[in-house]
Amino acid sequence: MENQRFYYDNKIVKLFIMATLVWGIVGVIVGVLIALQLAMPVFNLGLEFTTFGRLRPLHTNAIIFAFVGNAIYAGVYYSMQKLLKTRMFNDTLSQVNFWGWQLIIVLAALSFVFGITTGKEYAELEWPIDILITLVWVAFGANMIGTIIVRRVQHIYAAIWWYLATFLGVAILHVVNSFEIPVSLLKSYPIYAGAQDAVVQWWYGHNAVAFFLTTPFLGLMYYYLPKAANRPIYSYKLSIIHFWSLIFLYMWAGPHHLLYQALPEWAQALGVTFSIMLIAPSWGGMINGLLTLRGAWDRVRDSAALKFLVVGVTAYGMSTFEGPMMSLKSVNQITHFTDWTIGHVHIAAMGWNGGIVFGMFYWLVPKLFRTKLFSEKLANIHFWVSTLAILLYAIPMYWSAVTQWLMLREYTPEGFLAYPNFIETLTQILPMYFIRALGGTLFLVGFVIMMYNLFKTMAAGTCESNEAAEAPALVSEGARNPDAETVHRWLERKGVLFSIFAFVALAIGGAAEIIPMIFIKSNIPTIESVKPYTPLELAGRDLYIKEGCYTCHSQMVRPFRWETDRYGEYSKIGEFVYDHPFQWGSRRTGPDLARAGVMGGPMYKNAAWHYNHFMDPQKMNEQSIMPKYPWLATKEIDMDIIPAKIRTMQTLGVPYPEGYDQQAVGDLLQQAQLISDDLKASGIELAPTKQMIAMVAYMHKLGKDIVPAPAPADTAKTTELKEITLLTSPEDLAAAKTIFTTVCAVCHGPEGNGIPPAFPSLTDNVWIKGNSPAQVYHSIAEGNIAKGMVAYKTQYSEKQITQLTSYVLTVLNKK
Amino acid sequence: MKIISNLLEDIDGIRIYYIIGLLIFVTLFIVISIRTWKMPKQDAEKIKNSILNDHETDNNTDR
Repeated sequence: MENQRFYYDNKIVKLFIMATLVWGIVGVIVGVLIALQLAMPVFNLGLEFTTFGRLRPLHTNAIIFAFVGNAIYAGVYYSMQKLLKTRMFNDTLSQVNFWGWQLIIVLAALSFVFGITTGKEYAELEWPIDILITLVWVAFGANMIGTIIVRRVQHIYAAIWWYLATFLGVAILHVVNSFEIPVSLLKSYPIYAGAQDAVVQWWYGHNAVAFFLTTPFLGLMYYYLPKAANRPIYSYKLSIIHFWSLIFLYMWAGPHHLLYQALPEWAQALGVTFSIMLIAPSWGGMINGLLTLRGAWDRVRDSAALKFLVVGVTAYGMSTFEGPMMSLKSVNQITHFTDWTIGHVHIAAMGWNGGIVFGMFYWLVPKLFRTKLFSEKLANIHFWVSTLAILLYAIPMYWSAVTQWLMLREYTPEGFLAYPNFIETLTQILPMYFIRALGGTLFLVGFVIMMYNLFKTMAAGTCESNEAAEAPALVSEGARNPDAETVHRWLERKGVLFSIFAFVALAIGGAAEIIPMIFIKSNIPTIESVKPYTPLELAGRDLYIKEGCYTCHSQMVRPFRWETDRYGEYSKIGEFVYDHPFQWGSRRTGPDLARAGVMGGPMYKNAAWHYNHFMDPQKMNEQSIMPKYPWLATKEIDMDIIPAKIRTMQTLGVPYPEGYDQQAVGDLLQQAQLISDDLKASGIELAPTKQMIAMVAYMHKLGKDIVPAPAPADTAKTTELKEITLLTSPEDLAAAKTIFTTVCAVCHGPEGNGIPPAFPSLTDNVWIKGNSPAQVYHSIAEGNIAKGMVAYKTQYSEKQITQLTSYVLTVLNKK
Repeated sequence: MKIISNLLEDIDGIRIYYIIGLLIFVTLFIVISIRTWKMPKQDAEKIKNSILNDHETDNNTDR
């Protein structure tokens, strides 16, 4: 057979490598910055563009879609051409893929900084960018399938199956999760609401991990690990079995992100079952990778590329064992909403994705530039720095998670929460945040060392943009010969058919998970008392999404005693029917807010408190790590968009009356005036059109429809005054001081001076409800619900309240 | 949700989804496993090694 001459497109590979390095370092730097923000809130820089809520999506998206995304393309574009002995199908598609993806990244970065977001994790980009992603992804897929069609090799190697699964999986996920109705160019609402939105979102979120962070990397592993080790993959048969099992099972497991939450029991059980089953195919991949090196471990000692690949595969094995364990409900109550998840994802991202990318580049860049790696020694230093960084990152996260969980669920012998104030648990784990930031910084140092090493390598060699090669043309083997060829062998040379089978395997799980949630009515029992958001509350909710509050605050009280005692009534599925999108959150860096609007509940704060707290959280509680939001008091609510928002909500089925869009702004102003008046009574002048007013309205909506406000008679009702004896021993006063500084100081100030008139001073001689020991005890125990003071008898024992009374009267008031 | 019709109204029979799904998986898993098991060893060896024999100018294979 005569050889055909063709040229490998090395330039596109080089471009993707460059993009990976540039976006990678941006992503890691932003990661270090947000780690520092959690350790020291001053790193929020006092700007609305740089708060944690806006930069956290920037970090996650930069790492996942910019760093990892470009690395996937680099790895795929190189290995596909070599494996199939052909140039990529179409140069224009390659260019569209590259420049389109970089454009998406730039637009994404800008939109996050400006607070343009859908509020759905890892799918935060607004609808115009979603469309752009679809187009570029299709260009990638078309280029890939085209290349398979014009190949010069009969057999399609295992790595390419994974690439195909990646293309198909991400396409399905992205399209289904991005159904949204535009309100304007930069704002949309998802068509799903509440629990449905949660199921679709976490089906997406879970499978974004599967089909963007796992399957393409298994493909890369199947090519680059054997190449770097110069040994064939351990078992080809294993690769077939674990490929089909993995892509089939992954799609079902999404609901394990929503355990104990407002989701039907069957959906939770489904998620758990399939998560456990996933261990097997995942470990199939790990075993196949590690055993490839059997008898070649001596090479690992010398080669940094192999070291990274080995750590990558090992981290993959750890994460894919840990993940199913985390989906067991009893374990999940520890790991969910705590830093465990953060540790878990970083083992995977830094170890598995980072390891494979670094290992691949240390092998690929010298190959592409026809030279030797500039310094094997520097690469080894990078390896050790990076591995140490992963440990320094992950261990504090696990430590923090267990500590916080133990504190959150601890009760005193009297039956009260030992740490009723969330911030006590946060203060305890703050040292871990410093160590984590150190881990992140070390990882950054390693990254810089790698960039230097790779750029020096590139400078020393030359990359031939179009590398000549020869191979005989492919002659079709035609129909399957049942004696000589198994079905799978036959399928392995039928690229399009293979893709269709993979699509079917993916679609079954996705359909079984999503269709029942969307179509079956009885999944969402409606609650009569739940009303749609008023225009002002809706405006506040959109600000909540814009500022990324969901990155730190959940709105989901799980049915545990230690959660209902702390936050209030547990969350029900029917509460969220008007929530486009849902805002359940995934990590509590701050307390849950699902019951922030329940008057008389433990989470209720009045408007004046919210105002002061948004302006300067550290003034209210110096241990708080929340960023300041002073611009909420100066920026205006966007009134022009309100009617369009109402109309969009009506399209989605929210029962606003016909023609309400014209009335909405009037209603908004009316409600805003009430809050403005309320603030004025507390001595705060704030125009009703300011964003802060909308935020307060939204906070006061949360949970309000579920738990009715106490009737005025209840709040006015006074129980019998209880005669008490002051406890003035140093121990008693010290105990009281601890409670006072974490809980009471938030409103009354650390010295008890308060912020009059909203929060009374405890040091002067003006007392609203009297200053006899019995009266002060009563004020603390029963609270003052109308003014936003919680009834502390539900949180502290009689002895503790007596201690507090004594502290207030003898220390602060010096009676 | 107005935008999506109410195709199914009830949750009864929901289990059929999982039973069918699991059956498909188990069946395919068994079939694929057996077929793969019976695949001739030299075929697998040939494919495995094919990516290493790509006649590249190996200036740094040891890396």
